[in-house]
Amino acid sequence: MKRVALLLVAAFALTACGGPGRPVDLAVVTSADRPEPEGSGPGQAGSGGTEAPDCGDPTASLRPNGLGIPAGSTMAKIRERGRLIAGVDQNTYLFGFRNPSTNKIEGFDIDMAKQVAKAIFNDENKIQFKAISSRDRENVLANGDVDIVVRTYTINCERLEKVAFSAVYYTTGQRVLVPKSSTITRIDDLGGKKICASSGSTSLTQIARHPAKPVPWSVVNWSDCLVLLQQGQVSAISTDEPILVGMAAQDPAVKIVGPKLTEEPYGIGIPKANTDMVKFVNAVLERSRGDGSWQQSYNRWIADRLGEPASPPTPKYRD
Amino acid sequence: MARSARTTPGRLGIIASALVVLSVLTGFVAALALQTKQDTISGLAEHREPLSAAAQQIYRSLSDADATAASAFLSGGSEPVELRERYEVDLAQAGAALVKAASDVEGIPDAEKQVDTLGQQLPVYTGLVETARANNRFGLPIGSAYLREASTLMRTKLLPAAQELYRIDVGRLTDEQDDAASFPWLTVALTVILLGALIATQVYLTRRTNRLINVGLLVSTVAVGIGLIWGVAAGWVSAVAVGNARDEGSQQVDVLVQARIVALKCRADETLTLVARGEGGAEYEKEWQVLAPTISGKGDGDKDLLVKARDAATDSAVSGEVRSAIDNAQAWQEAHRKMRELDDGGQYDQAVAMAIGDDDTGAAKAFNRLDENLSSAIQKGREKFVESTSSAENALIGLVPGVAVLALIAAGGALVGIRQRLREYR
Repeated sequence: MKRVALLLVAAFALTACGGPGRPVDLAVVTSADRPEPEGSGPGQAGSGGTEAPDCGDPTASLRPNGLGIPAGSTMAKIRERGRLIAGVDQNTYLFGFRNPSTNKIEGFDIDMAKQVAKAIFNDENKIQFKAISSRDRENVLANGDVDIVVRTYTINCERLEKVAFSAVYYTTGQRVLVPKSSTITRIDDLGGKKICASSGSTSLTQIARHPAKPVPWSVVNWSDCLVLLQQGQVSAISTDEPILVGMAAQDPAVKIVGPKLTEEPYGIGIPKANTDMVKFVNAVLERSRGDGSWQQSYNRWIADRLGEPASPPTPKYRD
Repeated sequence: MARSARTTPGRLGIIASALVVLSVLTGFVAALALQTKQDTISGLAEHREPLSAAAQQIYRSLSDADATAASAFLSGGSEPVELRERYEVDLAQAGAALVKAASDVEGIPDAEKQVDTLGQQLPVYTGLVETARANNRFGLPIGSAYLREASTLMRTKLLPAAQELYRIDVGRLTDEQDDAASFPWLTVALTVILLGALIATQVYLTRRTNRLINVGLLVSTVAVGIGLIWGVAAGWVSAVAVGNARDEGSQQVDVLVQARIVALKCRADETLTLVARGEGGAEYEKEWQVLAPTISGKGDGDKDLLVKARDAATDSAVSGEVRSAIDNAQAWQEAHRKMRELDDGGQYDQAVAMAIGDDDTGAAKAFNRLDENLSSAIQKGREKFVESTSSAENALIGLVPGVAVLALIAAGGALVGIRQRLREYR
């Protein structure tokens, strides 16, 4: 009854106003609010100021001194604890990623970390993986939260001020990944366009400083970049070639273009004070080069997908 | 008129008209006020309470969907059927509750905004979860990136909107409860004035005519008296019932709902810590550490929602549920502590099993039992609310037509009574 009365009143009011009413405007929503990965936003260059400090050849590490574990050494303490704690990535296909079907973390970097565990415990499974983001790598080492960081970690002078590195275990360079339909052939074509990279990575710094002035867009994990590219929220992704290869392996609608922009030597990060650990890890790497386990890992994860064979890089030592 | 007012018959005529007008006016105002009150009370049970329940249902279902998706992810391989079903039911419930909540936000821009956010973002969320699922089935790690994006959307947009909507709906419920229990000052004042006027008229007539009783006016006075007593008594009974519905019903439910929201947030934190598997997980665990003490059942009633609910419970069934909720919350927190010890000690797989496994002492089972306790306590609180609110409504039955008839009797009585005296002057 009340509704009828209201309707009558409304009808009367409308007719009394004279002019015809306007239909209710439904087009208030004209754009969609896109979802974004956590921590996604405009990117900034690394914290190292404009000029990186000069430290000579950053890739020269400490000479290995065998696989023995002296009492009181860092390795002895790790052995006492019962497990090696490794800071790794769980979101970068081929290097460090969580296999959805087994819930285990796998990849080339993970194999390297397991080699270190195997050298200490004679058991590659005595290892605890802590997933960390690119930007946290220096922090977790400085705080002593982890024993090693094996996470597509480029050795450079800026980082050497805070952490120590093993000898180089893999060398690659930064390239660009775009949708297959894109006409872009190199990073110079991307002026004013959004390029995604993980925050705290050398790749992001490279994008931010490129003369073509692309717009750096930063995320926490590399796989977030691929999500943004698939959703059309960025025009390209730029980082080290094998990471891009890992993305292309997950999405047949993308391609890798352009020349290598940089040289990125990967090393295992170690707390700066633990020089005994640096020497030990270098001995582990030496063994893995010698007994074919490096080659085996490379062939398993990278060779076919990258389409080129490789042999382990020759280590450089300071003395 | 001015001249006739100086003569007694003239004055009587004026008094008669004034009494009739006052009676009719009082009757009209009273009937209108009572009708409004009745509408408010029936609106409480039919609209306000169901809507705040719908808003909390949206929150619960969405939060549970998010935690379930994370658990399914953690279980690895192809997701367990029961987790998938739970996720589907959660979304179906959220969708249905959203439609209900959307039906009553017109004119409340803040509520409209929340419903708008929920309506726009829920399909986006499900799209992301399905993309994650497809990629997971292919064994591609980008699936977990989509799941993280979905969870971020849930935690930064959907859940805050649902929580705000619930807050608005509870606010509206409380406001209308206050309305329904308010004292009808205007009506009572008018009735008292009318009563006074009738009595004064009778005193005046008795002095002028030396007749003790005027039947017409006496009938009027009695009618107004009955109306006043009936109205005040029924109004009082109704207000008390509305107050009971609030104290033992809706307020109790609100505390339980808050406890449930905290439990859901903690559960999501627990699973997401394991999904993050490292640095990012510290934030979730920090939130757990802040939230968990508010449902531990150990603190005092100011900070601990479960203790508050237990202390406020008047119904033995509700307090029984709250007591087992406290037991289960403590069992859960114990399981959580063990789970964190395992994870921090490097036993990730065992920690995952502790968090999502079927073990009776595990976190998943304890959380589910807690959620069931809270759900059933909320249901009982809602029943109490509806019961008390409908007795508030019943107390007012017949009052509107009753008051209208009494007002007409009062007007008629005054008219007849005074005309009788007037006739004597002719």
